[in-house]
Amino acid sequence: MTNTLQYLLAGLSIGSVYAMIALGFAVMWHAAKAVNFSFGTLFMLGGVLAVVFSWRGLPLLAAGLAAIVVTVAIAAAIERAFVRPFNREANAIGWMLTTIAAGVMLESATTATYGSLGHPLPSPLVEQPVRIAGAGIYPQELLLPAALIGITATLELVYRRTMLGRALRAVAFNRVAAGLVGIDADRITLIAFAIAGFVGALAGFLVAPVVQASSTMGVVVGLKGFLVAIVAGIDSTRGVVLVGVLFGVLEKFLEGYVSTAGRDAIAFTAMILALLFFPQGLFGRRLVQKV
Amino acid sequence: MRTVSDGRRRRLLSAALACAALAGFGLAGEAHAQRAEPCIGASWELTGAFAHQAQQIRYGATAAIEEINEKGGVLGQRLRLVAYDDQGEPARAVDNARRIGERDNCIAMLGGFRTPNAIALREPLHEMELPWVGTISAGTAVIEFPTNKWMFRVSMKDRWVAGFLLDRAREASKSGKVGMVYEATAWGQGGLADAERAAAERGVTLAAKETYNMGDADMSAQLIRLRDAGVDAIVLYGNDREVANLLRSMDRLGYRPAIFAAWGIGARLAELAGPLAEGVRVAGTFSWLGELPDRAKGVLARMQALFPEIRTPADLLHPSGTANAYDAVHIIAEAIRIAGRFDRGAVREAMYKVNMTGLVADYRPAFEPRPDRHDAVTPQAYRLFAYHNGQLLPVEQTPHRLAARAN
Repeated sequence: MTNTLQYLLAGLSIGSVYAMIALGFAVMWHAAKAVNFSFGTLFMLGGVLAVVFSWRGLPLLAAGLAAIVVTVAIAAAIERAFVRPFNREANAIGWMLTTIAAGVMLESATTATYGSLGHPLPSPLVEQPVRIAGAGIYPQELLLPAALIGITATLELVYRRTMLGRALRAVAFNRVAAGLVGIDADRITLIAFAIAGFVGALAGFLVAPVVQASSTMGVVVGLKGFLVAIVAGIDSTRGVVLVGVLFGVLEKFLEGYVSTAGRDAIAFTAMILALLFFPQGLFGRRLVQKV
Repeated sequence: MRTVSDGRRRRLLSAALACAALAGFGLAGEAHAQRAEPCIGASWELTGAFAHQAQQIRYGATAAIEEINEKGGVLGQRLRLVAYDDQGEPARAVDNARRIGERDNCIAMLGGFRTPNAIALREPLHEMELPWVGTISAGTAVIEFPTNKWMFRVSMKDRWVAGFLLDRAREASKSGKVGMVYEATAWGQGGLADAERAAAERGVTLAAKETYNMGDADMSAQLIRLRDAGVDAIVLYGNDREVANLLRSMDRLGYRPAIFAAWGIGARLAELAGPLAEGVRVAGTFSWLGELPDRAKGVLARMQALFPEIRTPADLLHPSGTANAYDAVHIIAEAIRIAGRFDRGAVREAMYKVNMTGLVADYRPAFEPRPDRHDAVTPQAYRLFAYHNGQLLPVEQTPHRLAARAN
């Protein structure tokens, strides 16, 4: 029982990271029908920049805030420079290449300036694990599901109750019609990418004290987050959150009860099978287009 | 008839002259091929995840070359280090080795950190007849293969390391159950094979064997299985980042077995894992911390002068690798002196005649012409180090000599 709880807690923690990354993809897709394919890089910047700012003497929270602000600016810049110019035409796919290129450039620049090694981000919340019915977890790891719940609730609120949210939904529904009623679709898309950047950077900042912040920390997480978004149905906010958490828990149970070495192979196979039976994603809506 | 005969004779003479000329060119070419340049090539991961390890090797190798050149070089020639970046990829390492052997025509080549890269070089080095001296990559298969003529090593060997670690783990274990944890790489899997063989030689079995993927942040599942198997001492093959995560997972579970690690972990583990690293023991060949012999003090001072980023000995993140590289360059230089010329074949033969004292060991002789003695550092020179108060120290200078890890 204790072991099961241990896997569950670990799965909730890592699953929350996957869910936040997938949520970022969903937010971008809503607004632009395009994403930053190197979104894992923004996750990495959240952690790495927090370490860099802490080296500069900023206290932990201030370092995290500064890292998030800078990453949000970079996320917006990526939309402006690497997505918008390449997403003008219907069915344009240039943004795929350009966002991957932007990610490679950012990762290389980080490696060149910050180094190839991971560095710890000291936090009082990883000094002692807490015990829950015999299972151990760091308080820092409990922040991840808490942050996920907070972000999801806030996003739902924004989408449903604010002018910005309505504008985001309008652009997602029909970009041209939204423009015709006076919504600046480009600006709304820029804001959506910035929101996604905030979510990714927050996840990176929160997880950095548990792992080490390194220039490559976003590669696998970004890939798995994208996978979660696709399998859940990238237009379903609640779906990506749920599938992200479940994917993390599934991984830990596979490690615990099936095979550590085969974890990724089995988990990815399960995801592919899910996609086979639900081509729109587990929570995706069937897209009907009149032609 | 006479005229025809003269013509035929002239043609025969011309053909003979042409053949002689061609043979001369051939001989000249052969002589040229034997005459190598006074450079030592290297294919290292100068960029990439383990770039810091390559830098550790460079420190030692550069210091040795400077020292040799200050004394007039070798056979009147100044040695040069020619290092290329392989980004940790075996295919690039092969390309670099070909540049070193064919274009740069270096007399010898130094090895780097990664075992798979070294294994990838076995065939090209044999084809080019280029002596190679490993400095870190400890995989058994790097040296021990039937056709090995050209690959030597001044480093540890996993087959010997596994037995060394297993003996210490058995000493520390109260339950008598020793487990193995290894990363899912060629090096880790090779370590498992070596540890199983060492266990079989000692008539024991490993109580549990667990692996993890590179980049894994949580190893709770593996540790739970080890704990449930009653394991209280672990032989570990891993690198700094994942081992720091392993220690965090142990902390979550409240499970604190004694750890005896191969040298994938270095001085950085203390930075990454903080107090959790206390008491982890690591096999190695050399430490720059604590009281040093005069020669080592001089080498350290030279490296600090050459590389200002080495502020203290603790900045040498792979202390054994640095010392190995220093010794490896001196062994190559000594072999050239014994050979008396910059001829790769002669230098290879001279490797077996090198007798010298290095930082790491007394090399008497450095190598012997049999498969398991192309390794210069024998188990008698292996040492155990332990993390104590954030530093990786010789275990004798810590409270962790025999005791299991402090709780």
